[in-house]
Amino acid sequence: MALTTTALTAPVTRRPRTTLVGAMFASGAAMMVYFGLLGIYAHRRAEASFAGQDWFPEGSIELGPPGFIFWTLILSVFTVQWAVQAIKNDDRTNAMWAMAITALFGVAVFNQLWFIINDIGYALADGEAQFFFFVINGTFIVFLIIAVAFLALTMLRALLGLYGPRQSDGIAAAAMFWNTVVAMWSITWYVIYITK
Amino acid sequence: MTMTESPPAPAVAESAPGPSAAHGLYDWLSTTDHKRIARLWVFASMVLLVAVAALGLFVGLERAEPATAGFFGGDNSYFQMWTLYRLGLVLLVVMPLFIGLATLVVPMQVGSTNIAFPRAAQVAVWSFLVGAGITIVSVLAGGGWGALDGVTGDEADAIALTLVGTGMVIVALLIAAICIATTVVSLRTPGMNLMRVPLFAWSMLVASAVWLLTLPVAIANLVLMYVDLRGGPLVFGDPESSGAIYGQIAWLVEQPQIYAFAIPVLGVIGSVVPAYAKVRHADHTLMVAMVGLFGFVSIGGWSQPYFFDSTEDVVFVAFGVLAVVPVAAALGISLLTLLRGGKPAERPPAHLHGAVAAAVLLFGGVVSGALRVIAPLDLGGTSAITGVFNLVLFSSVAAALTGVWFWSPKISGGLVSSEDARISLLTLLTGATLLGVADVVAGFYDAPDFLITDSGSDVIDPLLTASAAGGFIIAAGMIYALGGFLVSLRSANSSAGDNPWDGQSLEWATTSPPSQGNFAEAPARVVSEAPLLDLADVGNDEEET
Repeated sequence: MALTTTALTAPVTRRPRTTLVGAMFASGAAMMVYFGLLGIYAHRRAEASFAGQDWFPEGSIELGPPGFIFWTLILSVFTVQWAVQAIKNDDRTNAMWAMAITALFGVAVFNQLWFIINDIGYALADGEAQFFFFVINGTFIVFLIIAVAFLALTMLRALLGLYGPRQSDGIAAAAMFWNTVVAMWSITWYVIYITK
Repeated sequence: MTMTESPPAPAVAESAPGPSAAHGLYDWLSTTDHKRIARLWVFASMVLLVAVAALGLFVGLERAEPATAGFFGGDNSYFQMWTLYRLGLVLLVVMPLFIGLATLVVPMQVGSTNIAFPRAAQVAVWSFLVGAGITIVSVLAGGGWGALDGVTGDEADAIALTLVGTGMVIVALLIAAICIATTVVSLRTPGMNLMRVPLFAWSMLVASAVWLLTLPVAIANLVLMYVDLRGGPLVFGDPESSGAIYGQIAWLVEQPQIYAFAIPVLGVIGSVVPAYAKVRHADHTLMVAMVGLFGFVSIGGWSQPYFFDSTEDVVFVAFGVLAVVPVAAALGISLLTLLRGGKPAERPPAHLHGAVAAAVLLFGGVVSGALRVIAPLDLGGTSAITGVFNLVLFSSVAAALTGVWFWSPKISGGLVSSEDARISLLTLLTGATLLGVADVVAGFYDAPDFLITDSGSDVIDPLLTASAAGGFIIAAGMIYALGGFLVSLRSANSSAGDNPWDGQSLEWATTSPPSQGNFAEAPARVVSEAPLLDLADVGNDEEET
């Protein structure tokens, strides 16, 4: 039965978490690019292994530097969530510090990965394994740069006072993308460096 | 039905120029109004539709008479145009058409003043145009997605450029998909939960989600091929490896992924039918579920050659057969809705015919697709693949054009001539049926998917000729459709009325064409999937009391 009433109070308008939802979709898409690359990598490596061929040259992959990257990124998960929590508590100082430290971790990771790429001594055309090494690590660097840029932009907006306890989704969105990048490296670390 | 009148404050920028205002190039480049961005998408994709349909005609003629036609001057060029037709119909026509429609309609359907991330939506449309231009020009310059008979140095560069253009197009489409999906998820008006979202908006949410899950895998393919071509060991990007580059992304235009580009067909049908029948959908919840199921069975990133080896794979067969279920169920519910509504006195509008045409083609496509995956029929590698491709994608074209006609008051303020629309539809339905069915039948006689020599068969040759005739009819019809659309744009502000079709969702509560900000005041709290029908019910009840 139809009924019209004006007696009810106005609905509470929720803040649309547009940035967070958009970042969720973007993170999912970015992850699928990466999964696509790693999936093809795993398939080709399995084929080479099945055919009895070597993949990476013996002893060329070191575990130390990629491990440093992994643990640095694990630390950054805590710092980026610290930023989210701080802004929710209206603690801007801590939020800014947390984002700055996270971005610094990002720069450190870039530096370490650049070292690995230069130190390993591969060339792109050396073979399929080497080719994949450059493509996958290169793609990771692209996503890392995007994540750092996103974080820097968010910091700038936070400095301008655009985020606060009721409007924290921009920082949460940057944190979500950052965590996606951490997940990318975690898988890369295992699939490429640990299991070689 | 219950309806409350408790609108939140409207967020309307009344001072901004309306859609009828004259716009310079800078305005078009910098606009963040979703309606103008949508017009760019729709206009560009309709122009590309005519071009791709014409290309399809020549490809069909070459295929029917490979020894004598000689349109393309060699097997290599023919292969490039054949691949351009396939990928172009998906990436340059069907996806942008639906994205254009969704960019226009979805924000209004969910009661929003604009699309989410309007600047990103603007960047997406211009990136798409640039990417499409790069792709087309590079293919014409000898590029494309690989070659059959060797390449020169320049052609390898052109192939690399094609890969860049394709990647750019896909990224642009994905950005637009994110804007649309985010609009549905986070900008819905109060009371509109996901079960109350209009079917077109819901279908676009499902389609966007599937595209975001699958098309990035194609980007991964493109990255591998490009880097390999530019200095790798030439495992993935060898341009001379007999079409191997195309082979790595062919999954985009084959089952099950091909269905991902037809998900919004169910949404368009679900919007048009209740408006004509003037009743609620027979079972909105089941429709929502069927659109979701169709989305699920169209996830096809796993079906590329690296991840699965055989078309007899049980998942591949299951997805192919299961696709019939949601389509049949959705069409059954729509038919039930039509029957519930009785028989309105007036002649059915062109968009209802369009919905029927899209339904017929889609049903034909999924049934042919189910036949194609049944191993004993042995249709793998035959022209049945092309048949399924054409049936499914032209059902999408029919649905998108239906949407353009249905929502034309919101695009331009005017109405597309019903007679023009009917003629376009009739040609599309006839041509696509001929095109698709002839290829499917030829598949039973083992006609190969890509034919470069005469088959020498008394059965296959006439079928391929019939298929080419279908291509001709489609090309003619699409030129006619583009003309009708342009006339409609010129008749902007020849007011069609705000709700000429008795539509039930919120876009029909706006003016035609809609003002900046869409709604003069924010919509009342929504309590069902058909808020305007609720409003009419309330009015009727008040009159009775």
